Amino acid sequence: MELAKIEQLLDAYFEGETNLKDEKILRDYFLNENVPTHLLQYKPIFVGIEAAHKERFQQEINLPKPETAAFTNLKYIAVAILVLSFLVGGVYFSQSNELTPEEKEALAAFEESKKAMLLLSQNLNKGAERLTLVNQFGNAKDKVFE
Amino acid sequence: MNQVEFLEIVSPFKDKLYRLAKRILISNDEAEDAVQEVYLKLWKAKTNIKNYGNVEAFAMTMTKNFCLDRLKSKQASNLKLVHTNFPTSGNIERNLEANEGVAMVLKILEDLPEQERIVIQLRDVEQLEFSEIAKILDSNETAIRVALSRARKKVRNLMIKKYNYGIG
Repeated sequence: MELAKIEQLLDAYFEGETNLKDEKILRDYFLNENVPTHLLQYKPIFVGIEAAHKERFQQEINLPKPETAAFTNLKYIAVAILVLSFLVGGVYFSQSNELTPEEKEALAAFEESKKAMLLLSQNLNKGAERLTLVNQFGNAKDKVFE
Repeated sequence: MNQVEFLEIVSPFKDKLYRLAKRILISNDEAEDAVQEVYLKLWKAKTNIKNYGNVEAFAMTMTKNFCLDRLKSKQASNLKLVHTNFPTSGNIERNLEANEGVAMVLKILEDLPEQERIVIQLRDVEQLEFSEIAKILDSNETAIRVALSRARKKVRNLMIKKYNYGIG
């Protein structure tokens, strides 16, 4: 490759006006040819770019593990267990709504004692009303003996 | 689509995604993480993969956006970028020590603004056509030529400066 052509391509290269073919010519020249001293300063650029191009991704591409058939089955089994437990639980609770004789007795006792408490509190309220009357006496007495 | 079929479609451009991620994020580890994330996203969207036309260009765009977001959130949280380019995963770095000039170029590239780094990466390193780059960056060819020229000149000028003072 004649020197003048290389110099011309170099100028175009720095102006961003070379095409890929031109750039390959430049690369080949600076990598392989005996470069004259006045162009030697450009050599590291092309050698460096070539070195950068040789870098490799050295890992394996990690993807999430595919679900195995066993795992898929496991999921179905889990769903089945859940459904079953709801069914069993439902049956258990619906049964517990029917009261045993002892429970009925306890419930009746509870209702009775509730009634008794209510009666007590009504009478207490009556007593409280009477007490306000006593206070009225007190007020009247204060007025008289003022 | 199963994983084998998926990997057949997306594996061929894994190095390209990685190099782009590394050009933006600088660190090897972060670039590797970014590529894994992009592949995970692609996998989750696999049912649409046939609608994306050019899956590779789509994946490149995803990688670029993901890495720029990473950078942004990092700057927002005021974390300093830690360069972990010690000869842990890349053997290239070690070979480069022999050639200081090349190491210098790569260092200069790291210091360019992100957008300029990206165009240099896509054009000079990956040798993509301007039309393809425009598609990946959602930009137009003129804007890309301008950015590319600016980036190349910056590299040249910094190189010349260092070359004359340093190892010249």
